[in-house]
Amino acid sequence: MSAEAASNPPLFELRGISKEFPGVKALEDVSFEIRAGEVHMLVGENGAGKSTLMKILCGNYRADRGAFFHCGEPVAINGPGDARKFGIAVIFQEFTLVPYLDIAQNIFLGREFRGRLPGLVSQRGIHAAGKRVLDSIGFDIDPYTPVHRLGVAQQQMVEIAKALSQDARILVMDEPTAALSDRETELLFAMIARLKKNGVAIVYISHRLAEVFALGDRITVLRDGHKVASMLPAETTPNALVTFMVGRSVDMTYGRPSRSQAGEVVLEVKDVAAASGIAGINLTVHAGEIVGLSGLVGSGRTEVARAIFGADRISAGEIRLFGKRIAGTTQDSAHRGMALIPEDRKAQGLTLARSVADNLVLAGLRKLFPSGIFHPRKAMQTARAMIGKLRIATPSAHRAVGMLSGGNQQKVVIGKWLSAQARFFIFDEPTRGIDVGAKAEIFRLIDNLVHQGAAVLMISSEQAEIVRVCDRAYVMRKGRIVGELAGQRLTEANIVALGAQP
Amino acid sequence: MSDAAAATTALPRVPGVAFALIVLCTGFAVTSAGFVTPTNIANILVQSTILLLLALPMTLIIMTEGLDLSMGAVLTLASIALAIVIISTGSFALALLAAVAVGLCFGFANGLLVSVLDIPPFIATLGTLGIAQGLSLLATDGQSVVGIPRSIEGIYSGALVGVPLPIVIATLAYGATHVLLYQTRFGAYICALGGNREALRVAGISVRGMLILVYLFAGLMAGFAALLMTARLNSAHPTAGIGMEFDAIAAVAVGGTSFERGNGWLFGTLLGVLAVGVLRNGLNLLAVPSSAQVASIGALVIIALFIDGLRREP
Repeated sequence: MSAEAASNPPLFELRGISKEFPGVKALEDVSFEIRAGEVHMLVGENGAGKSTLMKILCGNYRADRGAFFHCGEPVAINGPGDARKFGIAVIFQEFTLVPYLDIAQNIFLGREFRGRLPGLVSQRGIHAAGKRVLDSIGFDIDPYTPVHRLGVAQQQMVEIAKALSQDARILVMDEPTAALSDRETELLFAMIARLKKNGVAIVYISHRLAEVFALGDRITVLRDGHKVASMLPAETTPNALVTFMVGRSVDMTYGRPSRSQAGEVVLEVKDVAAASGIAGINLTVHAGEIVGLSGLVGSGRTEVARAIFGADRISAGEIRLFGKRIAGTTQDSAHRGMALIPEDRKAQGLTLARSVADNLVLAGLRKLFPSGIFHPRKAMQTARAMIGKLRIATPSAHRAVGMLSGGNQQKVVIGKWLSAQARFFIFDEPTRGIDVGAKAEIFRLIDNLVHQGAAVLMISSEQAEIVRVCDRAYVMRKGRIVGELAGQRLTEANIVALGAQP
Repeated sequence: MSDAAAATTALPRVPGVAFALIVLCTGFAVTSAGFVTPTNIANILVQSTILLLLALPMTLIIMTEGLDLSMGAVLTLASIALAIVIISTGSFALALLAAVAVGLCFGFANGLLVSVLDIPPFIATLGTLGIAQGLSLLATDGQSVVGIPRSIEGIYSGALVGVPLPIVIATLAYGATHVLLYQTRFGAYICALGGNREALRVAGISVRGMLILVYLFAGLMAGFAALLMTARLNSAHPTAGIGMEFDAIAAVAVGGTSFERGNGWLFGTLLGVLAVGVLRNGLNLLAVPSSAQVASIGALVIIALFIDGLRREP
């Protein structure tokens, strides 16, 4: 940032913003400035007020108190239309794209060009204009491609193209890398650099500290609705930032205490292949051990987990759990004490509209009530015990799971399988979308599991997590296991080297 | 993996319905001597026109993740209105206007219920189905309306430069719907209504308004379909259109339009309508009672979707 930029008024500024919801002070006297050509990182735990602040910026919520300034001039934002007028656009995590329209149709949805005949859309016009917008962000793709064929990263690019085609000068990105692979993340960062050069201002919400420092020109930390710090990356360190975010110092290393010798073999996978694209998979997991499964997104990690759990049929090889060959159905696996804690908790792991208690006992119904008759009181006792044991932060056992934070939802999923007396756990991206404070707690939970003799297979895209948490790790590439790392050799560099070879 | 999955979902929409149509035609050609004759083929096409007029808007409605169960009953009521008006005034224009007005009224009502009152389409149109059916019985006392000027028959049996009029009307309707769906803003908004309503809201387009327009379009087409049906029967029956919504939904489903995410295919609907028409015609030739025909259409839907499903699996 040059001295000149510092003296000019910011492109947009929020001053003294307060917002209260019934019973909750979401924001209290928060100020935030956005400068052209700058990436402003907005960090904080879930519930800190980041989303509320951004919704006020883009006009979805109205602030109770506070003022807005555009290039130093006081302005009002009373709705999304006002925000758009100032060139503010939000790239939400949930995309606003229509799957069965093509890229150009999506970019110009609601702003179609008139065709030669009245009432018709100039398809050629929007596709030519769409191509220009895509070119301007360096996204080389046919604008006629239907959006449902695109991956998450490409859809995100389309969202960004859509915003820019509306002359957006301020882009708000809410955890844009949450669903991207490393390679895609690099492409996104390159594009952000290009946008910065063109004078676009970016507000970037992130949980990943590495990104905050790699990308940020300025960092603002929110906690419990207050701005607790605003600084330049050079003025702080990751540890200091985490302390700001959680208000206490968190052991960032989540280093595991040294573990006793691994026990009996719990899981044995021999030469397994499946139609999902994996082949020649060999791995073992012992009791009291956390084994990592690493590799790029799409390298087949999730497919291995699904095959082990019996969600996908295997076409070759065998899988043994506690020495016995599994039948290859999810029911059989669950019955024998295997638990899969999926990546997409909302879609696969939880019944969001039901209560915490219902979700906790769901997987264990057969073990809890062998006679087949449900006893509500016994179910509630079991659920309450689990809430206490896992320290699930919920106002009551009757609260719908959908209302809890990501970290607490994750605990409910774990608790669900504990009540089913699972002894082998597969975690698929256990910390995705979870804030720093809750991450450490999830790892502590996993650690407790193995201390009690359980075995854990953990899939993670973050190599740092694998290195810090796991005893051993397998690295996958293109549907195959290309290496096993343990002890001194289990380092981020080795994982990357194995996983990225051509 | 995801790329492979995307490729396989796009391909197989053709085979399901095309396969069904080919198997049906071959089967009937073998079993029934009268099937492959110019007269019979023309028959199938002409008899499919009423269904097509209903299946076209049904495709759009299903693309919005909606449903219109009231179509058959609205068709019936519009036909009765048309018959009563033409008998009392003698004016063909007024009669057509009455039929279209009935269709539009119910379309508007369905649209309001679904959008403004946010009632699930299944329930909302089940309600209007009952109302339209009841009004039909009330207006006719359960009897057929007869005494329509014979000239109206010409609309169903007449021809324009050798092409039967119903086929001309159906072709125009298909062309108009095709342009509407693929060449206008409205068509893109229909995809968005089923695919991602948030996208419309963000673009500042009224979701409610668009939904009402979709159901209004269905009402309009039901009005025109009533003209063809009345001309075909040269009378109006309070039960004539019962079950037409079933055939229409079946044709759309067989044609590969998905009930989710705004994934529709208009040409598939055309093939679906022909499949239903061929099936009914062939079974008629084999003297299968109409109750068994309904069952066979049900089976057709399940088989066609099963084939699509098979191909979608990796």
